[in-house]
Amino acid sequence: MDFEFFTMNPIALFFASIFTSNILMSNFLGMCSFISVSKDYKSSFGLGLAVTVVMTITAAVSWVVLYYVLVPLGLEYLSFIVFIIVIAAVVQILEMVIDRASPALYLSLGIFLPLITVNCAILGAILFMQIRQYGFIESVVFAAGSGLGWWLAIMLLAAIRGRVENNPVPAGLKGAGITMITIGFMAMGFIGFSGMIAVQ
Amino acid sequence: MKKKFDRENIVYVVVFSFVVCAVFVAGLAAANEATAPKVRANREFASQAAVLDALGIAYSDPAEAASLYASAVRPIEGAVPRAYVAERPDGLHYAVEVTGAGLWGAITIVAAAGESLERLDGIQVLAQNETPGLGGRIDEPWFKEQFRGERVAGGRVRISAGAEAGGSGANDPEDGLVDGVSGATRTSQAMEQIIAAAIARLAEVAGGGK
Amino acid sequence: MSAKPGKILVDNLWFNNPVLIQVLGICSTLAVTNNVRNTLVMTVGVSLATAFSSWTLSLMKDLIPRKVRMIVQVLVISFYVIIIDILLRAYLPDASRQLGPYVGLIITNCIIMGRAEAFAAANKPLVSFWDGLTSGIGYMAVLVAIALVRELLGFGSVLGFRIMPDGFVPWTIMITAPSAFFLVAMVMWLARNLQARREAAAKAAKASPKPAAGPSPAKA
Repeated sequence: MDFEFFTMNPIALFFASIFTSNILMSNFLGMCSFISVSKDYKSSFGLGLAVTVVMTITAAVSWVVLYYVLVPLGLEYLSFIVFIIVIAAVVQILEMVIDRASPALYLSLGIFLPLITVNCAILGAILFMQIRQYGFIESVVFAAGSGLGWWLAIMLLAAIRGRVENNPVPAGLKGAGITMITIGFMAMGFIGFSGMIAVQ
Repeated sequence: MKKKFDRENIVYVVVFSFVVCAVFVAGLAAANEATAPKVRANREFASQAAVLDALGIAYSDPAEAASLYASAVRPIEGAVPRAYVAERPDGLHYAVEVTGAGLWGAITIVAAAGESLERLDGIQVLAQNETPGLGGRIDEPWFKEQFRGERVAGGRVRISAGAEAGGSGANDPEDGLVDGVSGATRTSQAMEQIIAAAIARLAEVAGGGK
Repeated sequence: MSAKPGKILVDNLWFNNPVLIQVLGICSTLAVTNNVRNTLVMTVGVSLATAFSSWTLSLMKDLIPRKVRMIVQVLVISFYVIIIDILLRAYLPDASRQLGPYVGLIITNCIIMGRAEAFAAANKPLVSFWDGLTSGIGYMAVLVAIALVRELLGFGSVLGFRIMPDGFVPWTIMITAPSAFFLVAMVMWLARNLQARREAAAKAAKASPKPAAGPSPAKA
């Protein structure tokens, strides 16, 4: 292969993708399911876990497909479609495996899996991996970090929303409006992590 | 009575999926083929324009850029990554491509300097994946213009972290120090490293190396 | 479903605006709203992708087996998004470079899937095209308004032209992510209040609503 992959410090990458450049807080990816599901603490936990697992697996699979199939065949222009199909396939397989292996886990995780196919955070992480030309290790580390970051963000938001609900909010801001403002403040908090990452 | 056409028949589902996939993929392949020369030309132009920008040669449109490039700039054979030599009124100038790690991924720049390496002619960013609006601002003119004629001190040009000229580009070309992008300390540090590497490579190329 | 083009326009731009009311599809574009030009490119892309996907899926709706409906929808949407990506790379290389992965993310934009499912699946091709296009324009209006505020205050410029006087100190927060969340919330608040007021007024006198091209959040 005539590619040059860029080796980044994986530890810096991992923490940067969780905190300083949280895929939700700074790249706005995965907002749709984020806003609708974060009303409830328990569902948020399930969805966050599902996103983390699926993101890590799909990033690894997509990397292999991209660099061992698409690129050698000169089919990079089909990569968007292929990534979507990889995500859908991984979600399907995971659903079946979990259903067979552990019905209890299926109840807590399985119902969120179909939601994930259209979650832009997953595709986003894969596209970032492609465009930044990460190697395999970097890709997996970046995807795992992004997933954990998303999970962290949705849990925090669910906890805050639980409190906000009991307080008076102007009629026009109810629901999505106040949630956006809450996320805005959280995003400011996450930016505060910037100084922390100086591992490299 | 004629039976209603059965859309759920397995044979139909398979044939349908196959035909649809084939049609759309063929469409994409055609579109990709049709634009491939244009994309290649864009890439070629981007790389030539970057060299001209770094050398500080002004051009107004792609055609002029191509002719200026052809007349003034000569790629150095066998240099990997690419390096160029240009004959200017005041002597030979060199331009090199250098890639280094930014915060998120590789940053590729072209840097140019005269033979004496006292001052940079300028830099141009070829590729970067830094955060848009933060680290990504290294690709903005105010940042890049600061390097125009900047004195090289001790084999490097320092980039201050934190402060910035607020886009006005006010900068003293004698001090070997330019303003970094505020809020993007890591990217600014990375650029300082990459530019130091570029200066080292310029010295090598000017000395007859690849 | 009544399918008068004028009503669809007003609905998609204002009463049922995808961003303000349905809170859909902001993921892929919000990140580039600190720059008006990039926002325009992205939202035009979303509008065209929505319009053409709705049109195509509406044309095909009687042929698609139910089992593979989702995957065919995704295929059609990806097709148009890849076309947009290829065109950008060929004719707007600068924008393509700056937008990076965000063009691909149009595929997961919920608006496209939403319109395909909610409208195109039950309507004629041309009307579906119009519905998709106007949904996209409603989306564009809101995001471009946000981008105007962010670029003006964050860089002191609009579309790259410097507007603010020299002494203007850029608001760094406008460049960074939180400002986008705040601005979306404010536009939402404004729109919902206006709509609530108009609804109350409309109950008294049955007036026809004016089509507004998205409220300007300039004072926000």
